[in-house]
Amino acid sequence: MTTQPSDQEIISAVKRLSSVRGQGILANLLAFGRVLKDLGLRVGLSQVIDASRSLEFVDVTRREDFYSVLLSNLIHEKEGVSLFDRVFDCFWKDCTPDEGPMEIIEMSMPASEESHEESDSPGGSLEEVVPQATSQEEDLTQDGDLFFLPTYSPYELLNEKNFSEMGIEESRAISRAILLIATKIATQMSRRKKRASKGDEIDPRWTMRKNIKFGGEIIELVSRKRRIKKTRIVLLCDVSGSMDCYSRFLIQFMYGLQNELRSVETFVFSTSLTRITHLIRTKDIGNALERVSSSVLGWSGGTNIGRSLHTFNREFSPSLVTHRTVIVLFSDGWDRGDVALMEREMRNLKRRCHKIIWLNPLLDSEHYQPLCKGMQAALPYLDFFLSVHNVHSLVALGRTIQRIVA
Amino acid sequence: MNPRKLTIEKIQEALRSRQYICDKSLATVVYLSINLEKPVLLEGEAGVGKTETAKVLAEVMQTGLIRLQCYEGLDASTALYEWNYPKQMLRIKLEEVGGGDRKTVETEIFTEEYLVKRPLLEAIQCDDSTSPVLLIDEIDRADMEFEAFLLEVLSDFQITIPEIGTIRAKQRPYVFLTSNRTREIHDALKRRCLYHWIEYPTFEKEYEIVMTKYPQIRTLLAKQVCAFMQQVRQMNFFKRPGVAETLDWASALIALHREELDEKSMEDTMGCVFKYREDLHHLESEVADKKLNLERIFKDPMESQT
Repeated sequence: MTTQPSDQEIISAVKRLSSVRGQGILANLLAFGRVLKDLGLRVGLSQVIDASRSLEFVDVTRREDFYSVLLSNLIHEKEGVSLFDRVFDCFWKDCTPDEGPMEIIEMSMPASEESHEESDSPGGSLEEVVPQATSQEEDLTQDGDLFFLPTYSPYELLNEKNFSEMGIEESRAISRAILLIATKIATQMSRRKKRASKGDEIDPRWTMRKNIKFGGEIIELVSRKRRIKKTRIVLLCDVSGSMDCYSRFLIQFMYGLQNELRSVETFVFSTSLTRITHLIRTKDIGNALERVSSSVLGWSGGTNIGRSLHTFNREFSPSLVTHRTVIVLFSDGWDRGDVALMEREMRNLKRRCHKIIWLNPLLDSEHYQPLCKGMQAALPYLDFFLSVHNVHSLVALGRTIQRIVA
Repeated sequence: MNPRKLTIEKIQEALRSRQYICDKSLATVVYLSINLEKPVLLEGEAGVGKTETAKVLAEVMQTGLIRLQCYEGLDASTALYEWNYPKQMLRIKLEEVGGGDRKTVETEIFTEEYLVKRPLLEAIQCDDSTSPVLLIDEIDRADMEFEAFLLEVLSDFQITIPEIGTIRAKQRPYVFLTSNRTREIHDALKRRCLYHWIEYPTFEKEYEIVMTKYPQIRTLLAKQVCAFMQQVRQMNFFKRPGVAETLDWASALIALHREELDEKSMEDTMGCVFKYREDLHHLESEVADKKLNLERIFKDPMESQT
């Protein structure tokens, strides 16, 4: 379940852009596109232009048709539809031909020059260019050591956390380790073949094609081999209270994996599940972390792995998990939910996916044994049960996996 | 039928006359795609009628349907065109024996005669008076590379064959892409398409679909079947049944001359609805737990919806 902005956020987003609204449908459409974009939907200028072109073909006074036209042009995934509906209702509510969107205009601030410029130049981008100030470098020195010993900080009890103080060095170290692991677990042979100088079989088509210049006599041989195909990874991270002391590491891990590989989907769960892929799909880690911490509710709450897996299996599995998906679960396994449910969901998940890897930060301590019921229920369905708590363990994990895969 | 003259209502009506019941929103999207010459991307759970939309539309427009079923490893030579190498070789050998001119042979073996046309080229080169419907089915099964390649074809509707030259579409085909969302389609491709998500039908719509497809079915039986389906879709099954399953089941019940649903005939025919052993077990336990109230569905299919 992706987090949805509240009604208040939608209203304020609409108000914020009311200054850009003006006469004519195109200006309003552009503003509408901007509102959607501000609220996290991927809407580009070309789509807005297409939408306005489409409107020529329908009767815009019929709200139903107007809605369908905008929806089919601007939204390209099912998840966006419900948010679109809400924004649509909020944005176009007062657009009767006579009155215009009066209510909103009255409340708005006077139009600034900047916003006029944007609305007047449809050739430009919808994107706002905001210089991103990062405080990463300042924190470099003080944070270097902290990372290796997961520490407790009173601030982490807060539901909304400040993840912005992330050191660049540790970030790189993690990225390197993750890249190593990721490429290991994520490489598989493809059925697709490519021409290669040292292939394992002859490509008859290309051999003939190449030898036509010799009048059909086979002189040059062309060979082919299988391509290597990257697997999809789904990352499910526990962000409940018991995982608090690893949260910084966790977020690094998620971010690193997501950005090193193309096809990674990231979810976090405590008592419920939240998809955060879109929040961390960016090159700018400082901002990514901010977005995550502000949008995930129930951070540091209780744990209900079974229910979260259930949500995942029902909502996301059909579309995300295939026979070549590797599921990476990051949790300490302290589950307070129904064990039977958890077992069933693990079984369902296992049936669909390629491999399940459980990373447990507690596993590394000497006295730890997977005794708690939730963990025990999950054990039979795991392909790998591995320890991970800092960069060292990540590197070790990389080696383990290398050995297993090789 | 001149496609340009179709209105949204007419499309809906025409589809209905071919036994395809669709929402107005889908009709609007189809209408737009005809007028804007943009492809449509249809997504939805399995068995809600994505592929059927394109098939029926081709019937409505009385034009050919060219289907490209995607699969992993699909590449340009199977989707677009390929040279008929054996034929070329044969020609070369024949010319060798007959002592033909080398230059002529070289140019002649790279003409259309030696070209094997695959669906995409066929759709672009189509000579009919009306544009064909091009159905690119289950695009999510093809790999990313193919998507990128498709992008090029769908934006310009032209294909360049180095030996022959550029072939441009005389009329743009109506393109439908379907996806089951086993993976995310790339944004660039999505942006070029109109998007529509086909939801599971409501009780009323599903009932209408069953009645249209099988007019001989008893109304009570149809209602029972649909009511059952609606309830089951709310539940947690590994694979939720789609409209295709509903129709399968209905036709099975008709073939068995059932006039209404009872537990026995339901048991016998459940294989039409659930295709996993676990789901069948799950159904049994749901019935045993009274979470799925069969009696109520059998007795009062309309009421059980509320």
